[in-house]
Amino acid sequence: MFKKILFATSATEASDHAARVAFNMAGPLGAHLDLFHVLGVPTRGFSQVVLDVKTKEEVAVDADYISWVEEEVKNYYANQLATGVDCSIKVAVGVPHREILRQAREIEPDLIILGGTTGADEDSVYKSSTGSTLQRVAKASPCPILVVNRPAASFWGGLSNIVFGTDFSKASDKAFEFALNIVTSLNCELHIFHALDISSKNMGMSMQQDEIDHKIREAYRMIRSKYVSKMKDYKNYSMNVWEGIPYIEIVKYTREKQADLIIMAHNSRKLDADGPKIGSNMEQVIMRANCPVISVNR
Amino acid sequence: MPEGIFCNKKPIETQEELTALLGDTSGAQYYKEMKELDVDTKLLWTTIQNTCKSRIRTWLEICAHCGMCADSCFLYLVNDRDPKQVPAYKIQSTLGEIVKRKGNVDNQFMLMAMETAWAKCTCCNRCGMYCPHGIDMGIMFGYLRGLLYQQGFVPWELKIGAGMHRVFRAQMDVSEEEFVETFQWMVEENEDEYPGLTVPVDVENADIMYTVNAREVKHYPEDLAEAAILFHAAGENWTIPSQGWEQTSLAMFAGDWAACKMQVENVYAAMERLKPKRMVGTECGHAHRATVVEGPYWAGRKDGKPPVESIHYIEWLAEALREGKLKIDPERRIKVPVTLQDSCNYVRNHGLRDVAREILSYIVEPGYYREMSPNREHNFCCGGGGGFNGIGLFRPQRNKGLITKRDQILATGAELVIAPCHNCWDAIRDLEEEFEIGIKWSFLKPLVVSMLELPDHMKPEE
Repeated sequence: MFKKILFATSATEASDHAARVAFNMAGPLGAHLDLFHVLGVPTRGFSQVVLDVKTKEEVAVDADYISWVEEEVKNYYANQLATGVDCSIKVAVGVPHREILRQAREIEPDLIILGGTTGADEDSVYKSSTGSTLQRVAKASPCPILVVNRPAASFWGGLSNIVFGTDFSKASDKAFEFALNIVTSLNCELHIFHALDISSKNMGMSMQQDEIDHKIREAYRMIRSKYVSKMKDYKNYSMNVWEGIPYIEIVKYTREKQADLIIMAHNSRKLDADGPKIGSNMEQVIMRANCPVISVNR
Repeated sequence: MPEGIFCNKKPIETQEELTALLGDTSGAQYYKEMKELDVDTKLLWTTIQNTCKSRIRTWLEICAHCGMCADSCFLYLVNDRDPKQVPAYKIQSTLGEIVKRKGNVDNQFMLMAMETAWAKCTCCNRCGMYCPHGIDMGIMFGYLRGLLYQQGFVPWELKIGAGMHRVFRAQMDVSEEEFVETFQWMVEENEDEYPGLTVPVDVENADIMYTVNAREVKHYPEDLAEAAILFHAAGENWTIPSQGWEQTSLAMFAGDWAACKMQVENVYAAMERLKPKRMVGTECGHAHRATVVEGPYWAGRKDGKPPVESIHYIEWLAEALREGKLKIDPERRIKVPVTLQDSCNYVRNHGLRDVAREILSYIVEPGYYREMSPNREHNFCCGGGGGFNGIGLFRPQRNKGLITKRDQILATGAELVIAPCHNCWDAIRDLEEEFEIGIKWSFLKPLVVSMLELPDHMKPEE
């Protein structure tokens, strides 16, 4: 299922929870972990000067500096590396989202795990373009990405229980294929979930209960025809449709099901100009969930 | 010591030499060696006799020392009106002296001349507009840089930059394969959203041959994607050359005349090979100057023009919007106070003063556009032109130089600065980092892409 995992890390505390997931996942699954760190953003026009994302200092990057940072990363993860996980380390210079995507294009991983934000998105180099590193990687990633935002989301005791959240979009179909692939190969329980949005769509007017009921019935029908029909004889699943604010309902549902993982589609084509981390359902779920979230785009 | 290991009179010719020089972090040893570097006074004087023609000799002669150029120079203004920052003084005390002394100058003099040529002048040519005799100190500093480069007195980064052009025919270590591959990658990344998006490589007789800045390929490939999207949306018959795609010239900043010629001839060869109707260059100022304005003379072209009609990106964009090839969704026009940074290299020095304004009339909601003062051909340099941005040794001087632009921007009250020039874009980025005035800045491409009204057949499937 996962032979090659690209773990993009800031090699700071912000990525610790993601690191725990990355190593805990790669080990048991026998996957190769490609640990990737973008040390800094090129600055000052065509100069060799780079703004180090960790120290926030301007450094003149040369081969020595890069190997020094590689050593730092190795030391930072010394304990995890001692467990014998098949792992390689690479350090690059560039704009983080672009370099992560470049590395993904080169090694073709099955999954990208993104570490938490360092707050670097506030730096001036990012202000020139819209969206956070997460948004931009998610938008263009050739493979699913796994994000761990909260410490509480990082405990990975194996996979037995997975929530698949759908909005019935085309991208959701792709996310479903991916989820089905995981549950069948790891033999775990799949919870198919749709949240009926009764918040924003009606401009503050509350929907009639009849309409809600009707839409819920419709959603169940969709789940059966779109997903259950494709599951053949896989019986270890459940399905639910709840109404409310979608991201809140997904987080609540996951908590109730004590799931280890949420799989969703990242639908948003547009990058948010303001409030880079808040916006789409996807990002809200990532911010709030008690378990890792995998975003599937294509 | 006549010649150093890194600092010497020999240009970079191979990748090994390039790597070795890059390995001298920040040019520490390079600048140490420079302090010992001998001046070949004979070579200097011979070069002047062969290349310093009547125009520059006359300019040096007829300067009346009236001081009218003083207030035109932003570096004079931000440095407390230091008389040593008056353009006429700066050129008379360097090039003027070298000519007067028939090249008989020493190491100390050359070090002073280097600082003057790269840290006290950005070759923005503003002074030339205010001189009653029309003397252009910017042109003369460009010439002086050539003399300094020949003697090995050139900032570390620019020796590297010129070397990149000599080795890669690009300002960064980007190969032809990497260029094409990166462009294709960007198309793949965006083809779901823009069905039919392609990047035609080496197509002959296309209407447009597109050339870029290597930094886009290396660090900001989104720019390539945006270019492809806009050509696609406009229905253009366009192509990129796999060779001769780099429009910029750090060699020009460095004063490496031979590399300037090599670089621009590479682009012209692409034009002759592919025979496009026109060449369109990216949103870069000095690239336009190098390839369209000065390049023909470096290449010895009698008509003073590139092999095919060559235009700046803003000229193409204005035309596409004017003719309705690109349609803007009025709802998505810019609705924050916005200003425009006029690039010296194609506004003051190539007359494109109203073109960007025409574009803004289509993409900015009426009432939100604010002019800088002064503007158009009178605008000040961004503060980082002519290579100033990238030179570590002169960082403090450069940062001070940004103050003029900072204050011009602040006076407009704009929240967004549109800078259709890589150098200006970088300088404004740096000034935000340095002074944190709370602005955003952008090229035109991403803004136009974000407000494009696509015809139905170009919309993605839902």
